[in-house]
Amino acid sequence: MNAIEIRGLNKSFGEKKALSEFNMTVPVGSIYGFIGENGSGKSTTEKIICGLIKHNGGSIKLFDRDYLDDDVKAKIGVLIESPGCFPNMSVWNNLMLQASNLDIKDKKGEVKRVLSLVRMEGSASNKYKNCSLGMKQRVGIAMALLGNPKLLVLDEPINGLDADGMRIMREVLLDLSKSGITILISSHILGELEKIATHYGIIRGGKMLIEMTDSELSKSCRTFIKLKANNQDTKMVLLQKYSEIKVDENDYIRVYDREECENIVTYLYENGILVSEIKEDKISLEEFYIDLMEERVNNGI
Amino acid sequence: MEFEKTTPSSRLKSMLNVDFKRLVLSPITYIMAGACLVIPILMLVMTQMMDGMVSVDPQTGMETVMKGFESAFQALSQTTEASKTMDMSITGMCNINMIYFIMAVFVCVFISSEFRSGYAKNLFTNRAKKTEYVVSKTIVCTLTCMAYVLIFFIGILIGGKIAGLPFDLMGASVMQAIMCLITKVALCMVFVPIFIVACVFAKQRTWLSIIMSLCIGMLFFTMIPIISPLDTNILNLIMSIVGGGGIAIGLGAVSNLILKKTNII
Repeated sequence: MNAIEIRGLNKSFGEKKALSEFNMTVPVGSIYGFIGENGSGKSTTEKIICGLIKHNGGSIKLFDRDYLDDDVKAKIGVLIESPGCFPNMSVWNNLMLQASNLDIKDKKGEVKRVLSLVRMEGSASNKYKNCSLGMKQRVGIAMALLGNPKLLVLDEPINGLDADGMRIMREVLLDLSKSGITILISSHILGELEKIATHYGIIRGGKMLIEMTDSELSKSCRTFIKLKANNQDTKMVLLQKYSEIKVDENDYIRVYDREECENIVTYLYENGILVSEIKEDKISLEEFYIDLMEERVNNGI
Repeated sequence: MEFEKTTPSSRLKSMLNVDFKRLVLSPITYIMAGACLVIPILMLVMTQMMDGMVSVDPQTGMETVMKGFESAFQALSQTTEASKTMDMSITGMCNINMIYFIMAVFVCVFISSEFRSGYAKNLFTNRAKKTEYVVSKTIVCTLTCMAYVLIFFIGILIGGKIAGLPFDLMGASVMQAIMCLITKVALCMVFVPIFIVACVFAKQRTWLSIIMSLCIGMLFFTMIPIISPLDTNILNLIMSIVGGGGIAIGLGAVSNLILKKTNII
């Protein structure tokens, strides 16, 4: 069964087409990394799934039911753009209010549970407006987690979080996924997404470019050999034999051609260059995404 | 996958729960209640202080004698006879009817803050039916505004006492005065749904909802002294209750339609 199944979704804002024949399949229990440039239609898709904006055609099913089914909607946790909290109320009161909205029996117990999940037990009495950006994001997550949702829709939840906050968020999301919750998460921080996502969907110009699992991504990601050497001319020397050479941001030289490490070391040695470091690696999700986007731009798509 | 079954009544109950909690936690509730108590006291005491003062128009030299309230109940309403003449004096303009402006501000701030803070996202993500939202808002805001009318009336009693004004019913009976008060309370059922329509249309734009509420409300404000004079009869009372209920249902349907047809955020 799929937690989210979207077929042929269209959405326009006046003349501008935000989504065009958009398809998406999010399996139950997955952490679905939803990737795309700014304005590509990620937030629009999430808002439509949550019933916050109207669409202009297509079908959306959540757990094989209509996405506007009241029973299903009661089990969606959401964090879109910013947490929906009243600034002058305390974190506790904001969460209690949402607990009332969800008609949770043991409200206090549930609020305490979600606060401990996001490591915010000590800040419950703080006014929401006095919380830091990272704390606000965590309150938003806590709010989305109230009432044990079956589907979490998170739009840029790790924006503004410090390294520790990101780690906490990662742990929380992984724990939730283990308990069977499906998570749809959009983020520009692809390095973080790569650590948790089991499925990916890449959107561009309102169209789904590609959907793949973690293992499919792994297979699609090109391998390369990266090395460091004690000579300024290493790149020039390598270019005489290999066709695709790049220098990355850490000054490693990457050889994308299929080749053994030993052969490269030998070749460089024969040319008077000593290799100090060499290993095989794979391009990251971020690089895969950038490559994909460049490919689409080059092909005029 | 199994989902817990929710019923319309359980959803309405939870929505009412949220709204009453918000009501208790929102400062605007208390600010408006305070205003409803203080305004009639200030109004009665200050006009009484100015009673008999003569003002002279510097251009025409015309003298005007300031007239205070003759009875504290004048601040509740005029009798039908007195209402027939357009009284533009301060005692004719300052009465309980101004509370409907206060109500407009309260309803607009209360509802639009849900859209401004983004809390509406949580509400509407977890509930597809907009009816419960509109019904709950109508019930909570109407009851609060009814309480404001009663608070304003208490303010009139306190203000009248402080100003040393007589509590003369000016020809009306006690029963008619009570019906007048109940009619004014019942008229909240007419005005609150108007303000709610403006709020769900304007959403997070508080300023727009207040302007809309006052503009639309203005069309109906003039009917207040006619429907609820100090000597209100039973027909006026029944008309305001039945009409108010009908208008509340009709405008509730309009608000519901607006929410269904427009984007929430």
